[in-house]
Amino acid sequence: MIKTDGLMKAYKDVQALNGLSFHAEDGKITGLLGPNGAGKTTCLRSIYGLIKADAGFATVDDINAADQPLEVRRRIGIFPDKFGLQERLTAREHIAYFAALHGLHNDTLKAAVERVIQELDMADIADRRTAGFSQGQRMKVALAQAIVHQPQNLILDEPSRGLDVMSTRILRQLMYRLREQGRCILFSSHVMQEVAALCDHVVIMVKGQVKAEGTPQELCDRTGKASFEDAFVELIGTEEGIML
Amino acid sequence: MKRVFFTIWRKEMLDAVRDRRSLMAAMSYALFGPMLMAVAFMVLIKDVVSERDVRVHIDGAEYAPALVNFLESRRILPGSDEHPAQDIWLEIPETYAEDLARAKPIPIVVRADYSERSAQSQRNRVESALREYGQSIAIHRLTLRGISSEVIQPLQVDRQDTATKGSRAALVLGMVMVFVLMSVFFSGMNVAIDSSAGERERNSLEFLLAQPVATHWLVAAKATAAASFAAFGGILALLLIPVVFLFVPLEKLGIDFAMSWSQQFVIALVLIPLALFASILQLFVSFRAKSFKEAQTYISLVMFIPVAAIFALEFTRFEHPILKMLPVTSQHNVLFSSIAGQPLDVMAVIAGSAITLALTLVLVGVVTRMLRSEKVVFGL
Repeated sequence: MIKTDGLMKAYKDVQALNGLSFHAEDGKITGLLGPNGAGKTTCLRSIYGLIKADAGFATVDDINAADQPLEVRRRIGIFPDKFGLQERLTAREHIAYFAALHGLHNDTLKAAVERVIQELDMADIADRRTAGFSQGQRMKVALAQAIVHQPQNLILDEPSRGLDVMSTRILRQLMYRLREQGRCILFSSHVMQEVAALCDHVVIMVKGQVKAEGTPQELCDRTGKASFEDAFVELIGTEEGIML
Repeated sequence: MKRVFFTIWRKEMLDAVRDRRSLMAAMSYALFGPMLMAVAFMVLIKDVVSERDVRVHIDGAEYAPALVNFLESRRILPGSDEHPAQDIWLEIPETYAEDLARAKPIPIVVRADYSERSAQSQRNRVESALREYGQSIAIHRLTLRGISSEVIQPLQVDRQDTATKGSRAALVLGMVMVFVLMSVFFSGMNVAIDSSAGERERNSLEFLLAQPVATHWLVAAKATAAASFAAFGGILALLLIPVVFLFVPLEKLGIDFAMSWSQQFVIALVLIPLALFASILQLFVSFRAKSFKEAQTYISLVMFIPVAAIFALEFTRFEHPILKMLPVTSQHNVLFSSIAGQPLDVMAVIAGSAITLALTLVLVGVVTRMLRSEKVVFGL
């Protein structure tokens, strides 16, 4: 479970987060939807404990990220915004490296790496160096490194950016599977169709604040619009910064 | 927590070994230095030691056959087709025999470009041969007049060279040791840049920092990986020196060079703290850079300082007790005294290493703080 409460963060003259509060519950896919520059990445960085908020706090499984960043990071898997792979390692070595950083070792580590390679159907690329990988193959490696230690919480930052249909399908199926296992999935996006199709719970944020939250249907009902897209535009009050 | 350290160290080593650029850099500095010195010495030895014939133009040789014979005995010969003469002209006047018989001064001209350094020893040999010949004529004349030749030699200079073979070796081999120290600084550089600025350039730094790893272990492991390469380069250069000098006839320069295994072992040990210090210094600089190239620029500026310090010490032989304690200079001191045949100052070695390691730890702390700072990591 991931919670933020009154998060504030200012960079010089920009107020990136302005009292952001929301919940992402276990067994649900929560979408963090907002236009570019809404503060999504800053929000996720505060959850990882990489950024210290000026006020408010973020917790993962009720552990404060600012106080115990290592404890929090052990409970999350991260699918980062820009996933730079270790290009001189093979996919298997790469996954094993991050599994080891999460404290797995020896047989447990080998078994975990093998399991995730099977799960993502990447046995054919597992022993190749990641240098020449396609976008879809790179995504698989990034996904594998995020879930190899079977975290209770999975955070995905703009996951479907630049992916083809097949890769997107793999990503979705994985997210559904993890939801069935009762895990908490939080993903940020500015692509509305994706959020509408996937999420059980949507948090719409603008300028560092939560504008509205609920299921896609609830949001449509609340605004009286038929499509989620129109609801979104109505909620953020402007057409600026929306990518369709 | 130690397991994490080894995990990161192993990964960085694997990464570096697979990176040809890092490997080549580590090897080339270590190989290049001793090789270069060996070639330089070979040229030097040829130049200084060989008593080659000096070929000169002699005008008017026919007027002074005895002088020409004498010059020949000093291996100063007129030029021929096979051995063309150098640009040194010797002019013997027509009136040579006459002037000699009358005991008048004989003008002999030595014409050459005196600003040309490469022919300096040849010019000197010509002049000193002429002086010697003139002296022997003077002695004959005095003897004929019943005067002892000692009269015109009020001073007798006896030149005694106190340079031992060891100290002469130190002068020359000091330069070789500079290369050993420099290869410590340059061998690990690529690894240090690749694991910091390179990590940022590949967009993997932020993700790495979001892992459940205490930042100081991350920094320590990366520094140790770079230091492994730095120490490898330094020790390789060190091991190569005796091998390279097997092929250089140093004894012709009057240099006695011997480096025992135990000496090499001590130097290798002394290089390890320096390697750690050099690597963390490089990480400190290149974690601030946004790209590999930027890091290279910064590092080459920063690396200028230790290199300049080493060269300054090497040329000025400046000594001060504090220099035996500081990083770089203390290691230089150990290397230098070991080749100069001076006994090892164990206390200084320990103090120098301890201070180097302490500064390394301080820098690990500084880099750790840097990586916890949002400003540095995200460049905000």
